[in-house]
Amino acid sequence: MLKLEGLTKSFGDIVAVDGVSFSVQEGEIFGLLGENGAGKTTTLRMLATMLKPTSGTAKLGKYDVVADPEQVRGSIGILFGGETGLYDRLTVAENIRYFGELNDMPSADIKRRTDQLSAAFGMQDYIHRRAGKLSKGMKQKAAFARSIIHDPGIMLFDEPTSGLDVGAMREVHAFILQCKAEGKTIVLSSHIMNEVEKLCDRIGIIHQGRLVDVGSIGELRAKYGGDSLEEIFVKLAEVVR
Amino acid sequence: MSLRHMWIVFRKEARDLARDRRTLVSSLLIPLIMYPVLFGLMSMGMDKLDRDIQQNITVALAPSSDTGEVRDFLQNRVFLGRESIRLVEINVDPVEAIKKGEARFVLEVAADFEEKIATHQPVAISILYDDSDTMAAGSVGIVNQAIAAYGQSLVVERLNELGISTDILQPVRIDYASIPDDQKSGNHMILMMLPMMMTIMIAVGGIPAATDLVAGEKERSTFEPLLTTKPGRMSLLFGKYLTVTLFSLVSVVAQFAGMTMGILVNPGYLSMNGSSPGLGGFSVPLGALVLVILITVALGMVFAGLQLAISTYSRSFKEAQTYLSFLIFVAMIPAYATMMMQPQDLQAVMFAVPVLNAIAALKMVLGGAISNTNLLIALFSSMIYVIITLVFSARLFRRENVLFRS
Repeated sequence: MLKLEGLTKSFGDIVAVDGVSFSVQEGEIFGLLGENGAGKTTTLRMLATMLKPTSGTAKLGKYDVVADPEQVRGSIGILFGGETGLYDRLTVAENIRYFGELNDMPSADIKRRTDQLSAAFGMQDYIHRRAGKLSKGMKQKAAFARSIIHDPGIMLFDEPTSGLDVGAMREVHAFILQCKAEGKTIVLSSHIMNEVEKLCDRIGIIHQGRLVDVGSIGELRAKYGGDSLEEIFVKLAEVVR
Repeated sequence: MSLRHMWIVFRKEARDLARDRRTLVSSLLIPLIMYPVLFGLMSMGMDKLDRDIQQNITVALAPSSDTGEVRDFLQNRVFLGRESIRLVEINVDPVEAIKKGEARFVLEVAADFEEKIATHQPVAISILYDDSDTMAAGSVGIVNQAIAAYGQSLVVERLNELGISTDILQPVRIDYASIPDDQKSGNHMILMMLPMMMTIMIAVGGIPAATDLVAGEKERSTFEPLLTTKPGRMSLLFGKYLTVTLFSLVSVVAQFAGMTMGILVNPGYLSMNGSSPGLGGFSVPLGALVLVILITVALGMVFAGLQLAISTYSRSFKEAQTYLSFLIFVAMIPAYATMMMQPQDLQAVMFAVPVLNAIAALKMVLGGAISNTNLLIALFSSMIYVIITLVFSARLFRRENVLFRS
């Protein structure tokens, strides 16, 4: 369970996120849809406690992002788009172990879970190879494994398919759906309409830092008309302007 | 802040950097081979120059003096027994011959030299040479000395003929005596070079690590995932800070090891004049040694703090490298400014000035005139600077507008 109430972030005079409120249930994928610079990454950064909210609150499970940042970080997994963020000079196993250790997992648990994830993602052949020597696809699987080594209850995906080819994009989508199947609470930020439409149970449309509407695709379609999410998004943007 | 998290970060960063060829070259290999290579080359160059000055001194005669008698006079009387001086023939103008390197000196001897010698009158010998030529300027003294020695032999001969003792030529004799302190004179070069090189090496040694650990992480997109893990920012920072300090100190240890190897292989290389400073020449009391090591470590920590702060502020690897290259000047300026300074020239205030305090402490300990009070001042002030730089980099590491600068 994840709940935001009036979450706001200002950088000087610029209000990047303006009173955003929504909640996400366990096993639900919530899509944060918006143009570049709309405030999606800032919202996720606040949820991951990288940025402190200027006002408002966010609770991830029973933990508050301001009062319990360490516990919040311990209960989330995060996957960014673009670069996989692996340490090139460490092996895949070392990369995974590092994040396990940082999340206070006992050594035996890290070993057991690494073996489990290695089998699940088919990484046995390259688990002890340095990340810098791997193909993009292999790195991506390693990044998946690293993000869930501590079995977090909440997953944050920030533009996870940015810059990926179709094959890699499908891998990411499969991973997100697998997380959903495991009952994780998921927030997915994206500006790709099809992706959000395909994966998300509910969608929050964010524009210029403000959450302009929230609902399932069906609800949004009924409210604004139009067949595709793209059409809904364009209509909504016009309403806001 | 959690010590456990700090240790996890430190262990990972140290392992990661130990696999980085660039860091290994600049923090380990260069400090290790720098002294032997630098001083070996300098020593080789100076040895060659010395050999060129001392040996194969070519002397020609000006056309007006180029007679069999003069040649015989110089060869068999003036330069007799002086193997390094060789009479050569030239077919061009004397100035041209010197410029072309056919002869280092051209001598003109008075035509009536035999008569002048016989009548006890001075024989004029003029020496033409290029004093801008290092070899000629160096060996003119040898030619001069040969001629003067011949003149002296004539004086002795004449005084003997008159039955007068040569002591008459030396009414006063001066004897010089130097305070016997082999350690100080032997360590002179080390005293001059070591504090300077050590300071620069400490400042440089941590740069690859510091650049990689924050700015590098930002550029490779590994920084944000790291910030989303459980440890607080300070645990991450201190783990990284310890790694940078470690690599600074690895540079210093490698530098000492390189110097020791150089001395073992060629005991005279550090003195550059062949006299051995010797490893046994050092005799530092244990307490002072511990203090100076602590001061050195503290200097490494000060630089590590500054380097991490700069790396944190930088958006990219390149930006960090640019800013960090300026930091080298912070070490270079006091290092070069005090290079020629002897331990007796050190003032108490220097032991409280950042960077300078470590240089002064090292110079003092190497010089042998140890003041524990000054060493303690240096250590205490160093610790204050460590705290200041740490607080500074911690504040920067907490600031969102710095961490997420774009």
